Amino acid sequence: MFRIHCPHCREARSEEEFSYAGEAHIPRPVDPSSLSDSEWGEYLHTRTNPRGPHREMWVHTAGCRRYFNVLRDTVSYKILAVYPVGEMPPEQGEA
Amino acid sequence: MGAEVRRRAAGGRIDRDQTLDFVFDGRALRGFAGDTLASALLANGVDVVGRSFKYGRPRGIVGHGAEEPNAIVEVGAGASCVPNLRATQVELYNGLEARSIRASLFQRAAGAFGRLLPAGFYYKTFMSSPGAWMAWERVLRHAAGFGKAPDGADPDTYDRMNHHCDVLVVGAGPAGLSAALEAAGWGARVLLADEQSEFGGSLLAETRALGGDSAAAWLDGALAELDASGNVELLPRSTVSGYYDHNFLTLVERRSDHLGPVAAAGTRERLHRVRAEQVVLATGAIERPLVFANNDLPGVMLASSVSTYVNRYAVAPGKSLLLFTTNDHGYRTALDWHRIGREVVAIVDARESPAGGWVAAAKEAGIDVIVGHAIIEAVGRSRVSGAAIASLQANALAGTPRRLACDLIACSGGWNPTLHLGSQTGVKPRWSDSAGAFLPGDLGGGTVCAGAVAGTPTLRGCLEQGALAGATAASRAGFGSGRTTRSAPEVDEPPETPARSLFLVPHPKRVSRAPKQFVDFQLDVTASDIELAAREGYESVEHVKRYTALGFGTDQGKLGNVNGVAILAEALGKDIAEVGTTMYRPSYTPATFGAIAGRDVGGFFDPERHTPMHEWHTSRGAEWENVGRWKRPRYYPRSGETMQQALNRECLAARDGVAIMDASTLGKIDIQGADSAESLDRIYTTGFRKLGIGRCRYGLMLHEDGTIFDDGVTARLGEDRYLMHTTTGNAEVVFAWLERWRQTEWPELSVYFTSVTDHWATAALVGPKSRTVLAKVCTDIDLTGGAFPFMAVREGHVAGVPARVFRISFSGELSFEVNVPAQHGRAVWDALIDAGAEFDITPYGTEAMHVLRAEKGFIIVGQDTDGSMTPADTGMDWAVRRNKPFGFLGDRSLDLADHLREDRPQLVGLATDDARTVLPEGGQLVDDPECRPPVPIAGHVTSSYYSARLSRPIALGMVKGGAGRMGETVHCPLADGRVVKASIVDPIFYDPKGERQRV
Amino acid sequence: MSEPPGVVCRECPDRAFVNVRGDVGDPRLRDAVAQVAGVDLPREPGTWNQADRSRAYWLGPDEWLLVVEGDDGLEVEGRLRSALDGHFSVVDVTGTQVHKELSGPDVGKVLQKSSPYDFHPRHFPPGRCAQTVFAKATALVAAREDGAFDIVFRRSYADYFMRWLADAAAEYGYRLD
Ligand SMILES: [Zn+2]
Repeated sequence: MFRIHCPHCREARSEEEFSYAGEAHIPRPVDPSSLSDSEWGEYLHTRTNPRGPHREMWVHTAGCRRYFNVLRDTVSYKILAVYPVGEMPPEQGEA
Repeated sequence: MGAEVRRRAAGGRIDRDQTLDFVFDGRALRGFAGDTLASALLANGVDVVGRSFKYGRPRGIVGHGAEEPNAIVEVGAGASCVPNLRATQVELYNGLEARSIRASLFQRAAGAFGRLLPAGFYYKTFMSSPGAWMAWERVLRHAAGFGKAPDGADPDTYDRMNHHCDVLVVGAGPAGLSAALEAAGWGARVLLADEQSEFGGSLLAETRALGGDSAAAWLDGALAELDASGNVELLPRSTVSGYYDHNFLTLVERRSDHLGPVAAAGTRERLHRVRAEQVVLATGAIERPLVFANNDLPGVMLASSVSTYVNRYAVAPGKSLLLFTTNDHGYRTALDWHRIGREVVAIVDARESPAGGWVAAAKEAGIDVIVGHAIIEAVGRSRVSGAAIASLQANALAGTPRRLACDLIACSGGWNPTLHLGSQTGVKPRWSDSAGAFLPGDLGGGTVCAGAVAGTPTLRGCLEQGALAGATAASRAGFGSGRTTRSAPEVDEPPETPARSLFLVPHPKRVSRAPKQFVDFQLDVTASDIELAAREGYESVEHVKRYTALGFGTDQGKLGNVNGVAILAEALGKDIAEVGTTMYRPSYTPATFGAIAGRDVGGFFDPERHTPMHEWHTSRGAEWENVGRWKRPRYYPRSGETMQQALNRECLAARDGVAIMDASTLGKIDIQGADSAESLDRIYTTGFRKLGIGRCRYGLMLHEDGTIFDDGVTARLGEDRYLMHTTTGNAEVVFAWLERWRQTEWPELSVYFTSVTDHWATAALVGPKSRTVLAKVCTDIDLTGGAFPFMAVREGHVAGVPARVFRISFSGELSFEVNVPAQHGRAVWDALIDAGAEFDITPYGTEAMHVLRAEKGFIIVGQDTDGSMTPADTGMDWAVRRNKPFGFLGDRSLDLADHLREDRPQLVGLATDDARTVLPEGGQLVDDPECRPPVPIAGHVTSSYYSARLSRPIALGMVKGGAGRMGETVHCPLADGRVVKASIVDPIFYDPKGERQRV
Repeated sequence: MSEPPGVVCRECPDRAFVNVRGDVGDPRLRDAVAQVAGVDLPREPGTWNQADRSRAYWLGPDEWLLVVEGDDGLEVEGRLRSALDGHFSVVDVTGTQVHKELSGPDVGKVLQKSSPYDFHPRHFPPGRCAQTVFAKATALVAAREDGAFDIVFRRSYADYFMRWLADAAAEYGYRLD
């Protein structure tokens, strides 16, 4: 059971208040119509699935309902950083 | 042997004024308050408490705590009985009824079973032929012999409590108590949990003085101080069962079991969910048994357990003791035995020249110390009557074995730190040569280990290390400097001679030929089994565990694992460190389902959401349908009506007269801001920019992969304000979807979304007479078709309450959906019912709603679609606008080659040729009426009803290339063997031009 | 009953609830709320302000719940709408909310049974509020000066919620006012 610091509520809350919202930093292509089927398919389906630091998006479902990014180690489950949507993680790790 | 002989006349922590009667396996016995079931059984001379799992050998009590592998009992009766408890952890109460659950197995299956279950039985049998499990399952499950789950509903109450603390101290022995005192002294919020009824751990059986006072007096002082502190919560009878990520731990507190079934009121067990800034693990250590031939005979016990029974429970579980030890500590048991005036036959010490303080004390007491020897075999039938000992040089026997008579063998093979919790976090224990034991691995900055679990051998050391751990943990949590503020009490710690590592005592016969040398008592795993595994090529300890079942019992190998690992290492010619241990998993001791479920059972299993009109529906005898968490009326049967009759009546009322439905559960989202229309354009397939104020439009919501995931009608309430309707089940998903795009991709859009699902109560007034009925209670809205057209919204008052009225229709009839703030919902509903009385207004439920919409060919997302369907697949290209500036979510995917295939499943209507049979929903559709295998599937039925209006069945389905197969025939095989013929038809069965809803 | 109940639940009727969204940095928003409801929007996460008959609870960085005693939600919404300018959202949500006050010496234990949030006074002193998981639903919980807690939850969950509270509090003695 994770303990996640919500950057909007500015305190640590228990995992059951949050929902995972997929890998972070997968921007929607600006002009989808210019992409080939396979390029569009990359955006739809391809994810990094790393062993180690993983940049992911979470939403504080039962709290402030705000989205934010988390850098989390998929081996140790340690949360290495929490940072706003639209920014890069403060420590890149090996991601 | 009688009870008087076993129970000492004085001493111990039992209350001799409170005698307790109990029954074990039908025998009426007596004990005292303060006894465990195990101590009371020993006091009563009960030697055999069960039969072993595989070989049916008699077994007695070995330990005194969570490690006990043999004395597994079922306590209580009927539905509240608990199988699978360790007698050493069951507090005695008056009237307790316990049964040995491990006695029954071999009364049924006899000793032949052992030959059926050699080491590797499970592995070989089920890995090589998966089908074998089917054949064996019944036999094995029946014979597994670890208790029988009661079949009645559990009458007791369980619950859950959440905790947040600065420091959780696990274990209230000397180290844990010291840690708690120190952390509390710094002001930290401390939670101190211990699995026993009394705090104190090893101090409860300690005979030495602490700081010049008795151990009991020191303990009382410490507990009084903790009790008086305002920031400490004490949780006795609480087993820390799981240690999960981010310092989240679960504790199972047994609140009433010690009071017996009379205390059924109140909470029986409570699961504490603890989030700790810091955890101090002071879980102590469990003595390591010694592995020699027939070491499972009743009367072979752990030395520390013998001492505990003598000192804490005033029970001497025998007459003449033979101590077998590899270390100085074990000598204390012989001294305890000697002190109470019983015979110590001898101390057999595996070491050549022990010379520590306890050794000297034993010699001084006149006890015969036989050095350089080992017990190679216990002798006796159902109880130890003697032992064979032999000289042990290096790792081989020397000389001729000789025999000593005794009725109790106490073993001390050193200590295994109780490191299970640390291991649960995924950190592997590490072998320490100096400690001769596995120690917790590096658990990181949120955990401190203190005392015996950290390999600290002395009481004095445990007290000191505990205090330091408490100060460290408090400091890391933000309290204090990390230095201790109190000095540990003085304890007499004589010098000790290093212990000898001895994991398997040799026998004159080879291991495979010698009498069984048990490693894991609970699952009857022997040294020979482990050597066999090594010979068969297993090297990984995890594989050997699965091959031999070592550590697979409910005790998770608390006694046997380390010996097992060492024997494996020896057989493989490897170091113990190299072999490592298996991982331990929650729960530390078995937990009940009751504790896990808590109060989330029965009416609390899943919340029911009620609309403001819920009571009315109840009063009308509604049958319910669960839609998500909502309770929705499914239909309202009148007395004597079948469901179909009720549906026919409800549907015809909606088509011919006036009917009313509670539509409050539909998701509703208020949208405000200058970019509301732009947001809607991007979210929905349809366009909203040009929608007039006061008008409504239908839209499909797609995932980025182009599949439909929601639909609904959105109304424009003002220049920059809209109201979106979602399906009932998707309200929260859609709301989160909107916020996701707003927050993460489109922060530049000026738009806010607010969920108003619960704010509005909605009554859908449906049918040709709905306008007339509404007009009676709504005078400030012009309801005529010209002023208030189809797909429009008006604000006014209904029954005197501010209302929004939508002219939208999911039935294809003239329809007004009246929305009022929920606090007025019931009153307005009542007013509408009153107004409609003269027209026989008919309430209808979700089932009639489904029929009405299916007659119109309207889909239900999630019923007629399955998450793979695009707008084109459902024939709803008309609801897609491809020329919007931004496009919309999922737009690009509609052009994917796969989505353009003509043979995709497409929505069609299905009309049975016999005009009688209602096709089963989910029924498969095939082209071959003979159904000759392999039968290619052409599609399936998604919705199917009897239509009262059309006097025949109607159905919707998905058929491959269905849009191009109008008029063709498909076949639906039924479960009863019949095959029903159906024609593919247009999905709109009724009023195809949509005239009725526009009147 | 001789023993005073450990937990008392009291209905707080007759209140208007309005959801307010906007940029807290925009003085027009704060001024409009102050003018209409007489209360300052809290800027600090997880806090609430009280003034006379009004309360403003922080729900998110751009979202508040405004509660006005003895008023009508639609009217408060209307007054705010007229007083506001720029990008904002105000929505009457009076129908959504059920507002209860929980008090008594054992109220903390009932909260502990219901929510993974830390309501200990060290962490959650008067003036704090939090939206969190409550039983199998969600709630807004606020700590008051008098040691009681305000609990605001969705109407459709009211039946479940009230049964849950009564059951969780039963062992301490429970009274519903
Ligand atoms: Zn938050």
